[in-house]
Amino acid sequence: MGNVIEEIKNAVMSFDRNAVRRLTEKSLSEGADPVEIFDALKEVIGRVGDDFSKGILFLPHLVGAAEAMEGGMPLIMQEIKKRGSLVASPGTVLIGTVFGDIHSIGKTMVATLLAADGFTVKDLGINVPADRFVDAVKEGAVDVLAMSALLTTTAPEQLKVIASLKKRNLRAKVKVIVGGGAISQEFADEIGADGYGSTAPGAVVLVRRLLST
Amino acid sequence: MSLRGFTRNIPPMEILTEEQVEAIHRATLDVMENTGIRFENERALAIFKDHGCIVDFNERRVRFPSALVEELLGRCPSSFSMRSRNPEHSVRIGGNTLYFSDMPGRGILDLHTWQIRKATRAEVREALTVLDALEHFHIICSYTPYFDVEGIAPAMAIPECCAASLRYSTKVMWTGYQNDCELFSIEMAKVTGQDMMGLGLPSAPLTYYSDACESTIRFAEAGFPINFASGCMMGGTSPMTIAGTLVSFDAEVIAGICLAQMVRPGAKVVVEDTVLPMNMRTGSPVFGSITAALHIAAFAQVWRRYRVPTFADSGWTNAKKIDYQDGYEKSMTTLVIALSGVNVANFYGGVYGELAFHPVQAVLDDDVAGMVGKFIEGASVNEDTLAEKVIEEVGPIPGHYLNTGHTRRYFDKEGYRPKSSDQLTYQEWETSGKKDALTLAEERVNEILDSHEAQPLPEDQDREIEKILEKARKHYGVK
Repeated sequence: MGNVIEEIKNAVMSFDRNAVRRLTEKSLSEGADPVEIFDALKEVIGRVGDDFSKGILFLPHLVGAAEAMEGGMPLIMQEIKKRGSLVASPGTVLIGTVFGDIHSIGKTMVATLLAADGFTVKDLGINVPADRFVDAVKEGAVDVLAMSALLTTTAPEQLKVIASLKKRNLRAKVKVIVGGGAISQEFADEIGADGYGSTAPGAVVLVRRLLST
Repeated sequence: MSLRGFTRNIPPMEILTEEQVEAIHRATLDVMENTGIRFENERALAIFKDHGCIVDFNERRVRFPSALVEELLGRCPSSFSMRSRNPEHSVRIGGNTLYFSDMPGRGILDLHTWQIRKATRAEVREALTVLDALEHFHIICSYTPYFDVEGIAPAMAIPECCAASLRYSTKVMWTGYQNDCELFSIEMAKVTGQDMMGLGLPSAPLTYYSDACESTIRFAEAGFPINFASGCMMGGTSPMTIAGTLVSFDAEVIAGICLAQMVRPGAKVVVEDTVLPMNMRTGSPVFGSITAALHIAAFAQVWRRYRVPTFADSGWTNAKKIDYQDGYEKSMTTLVIALSGVNVANFYGGVYGELAFHPVQAVLDDDVAGMVGKFIEGASVNEDTLAEKVIEEVGPIPGHYLNTGHTRRYFDKEGYRPKSSDQLTYQEWETSGKKDALTLAEERVNEILDSHEAQPLPEDQDREIEKILEKARKHYGVK
């Protein structure tokens, strides 16, 4: 058993999404404990994250490992549910690039890293109108709303989202965070967001911090 | 008479073999024909269909037959003129000319704290006045110089800055687009009777959103030139390699050029290299990287094959201050742009990314432009410059050249004397306040502001521009 888990870990470290899926399938069909695989994956992605912050690994490794993990995660979560075991999900993050802005890569990086960290991520894509953000919050089970914007011209859109959340009595329900090339802490404060991150890995730390308080 | 810019009299630098250029061209045609480009605009899709592209309306994907691409590229003029309201400031872009444009910033840089803050309307006017006065500066980018200005709603940033550029400078300009704001820019250009370059920006990888299509179609219809630039980030939104990014970038911009040529055969177009590598620690672009310079050199060579005029960016740096890093990053890329035979360098005034601009930086950049321009003009070799006669007259020591008419005739032509760099002896420097280039540039900005004013807009035109602004404010529902 231990061997298959080691193999899965190695597959993540070699950024081999298909191998992770194949090995996860195999070990689950042989009766492995999904929680044990889940913990192993968390451990290995944690190690990748540490090496990233030390400057040993870089974004292509971080994103590669995160996506490799995604190869096994749905199967593991499905099996955990089936068996009724409990895994504490750290939370659900709703993410999108605001209306008027079509930049996607920063947003996608944040979404990938959050998913790898165990968060449930709902990605609404780019050019997302305020109402779609707010409707999605209303639909429920969202802990953090993350808005990405590269352009300062979209500032009124982000204000609109926050104003609309307030109007519909949803503001207290979610933490709102913002990020993107032209966004600053000052801007985040100005529009009344709960947090701001300047990098994708920083966004994961920010979400963890906001949800632990 | 028009601004002639600099003339490159030296052969362009080539970093690729002819075979490599052809390989890049073939790969580009392959990508356009097989992978295709996504266009999020019904009007554009219909135009492509009408002109013989294979259009998948569900996926909004357009695939381009290679012969059609080559035919449409052949329609692009190899050079074109841009009229200013002051004929002395008109330009002709293409061939072996080099012009300089600016690199706008979100805000103004504070020269004491190095913080970026919103600019005021007065600072917008000051920056444009300085750009108007600078000797080697030719083309204004009209979300210029700042796009975050106190008292201007974000939706009005482009129309307001377009109006300011027309009022406070007579240099020719290009303008941005978003939410139909290009319609107001086109209207303003028609009031002053000048040409205005528009933008059509693909979003890497391989996508055009609707605004970019509308802008392309509108500028083509107006008969104005269009600049196609793709902000590929190597390893992020384009392949990590220089060759691969060039293929992906070229497929994107050529697709836009095809649209322009379908709307208006012979449409005036340029392509602009805005490619940057990704910082693999932060995910941000790396500004001022030598990789980008290498890409520019390859880009320029490939686009000489197509005989389409080129722009490239050297105005941004990763430095947050006007300092040594800012100086070397900007200068190195500018020199590569000039040596590679690119026609316009977007260079002046920009500091960190597109986040900051300062007229003091523009004054420093004017000297770099002068030096780089002087270099590509090369050395003239003829009977007089070979100087055999004067060598014979002067002979060995005690002869010298200081007293010859030949020296008096050439000393200013053979060199470039920077206006704001420290050229003093140590003693002169010590007794004149120990000033560095930054201080000298600040002084020069003040001198310009005290002495220079652009030729004002005729009153009736000014009123018309104001009416257009009023209309735009109403359109966006802002003050």
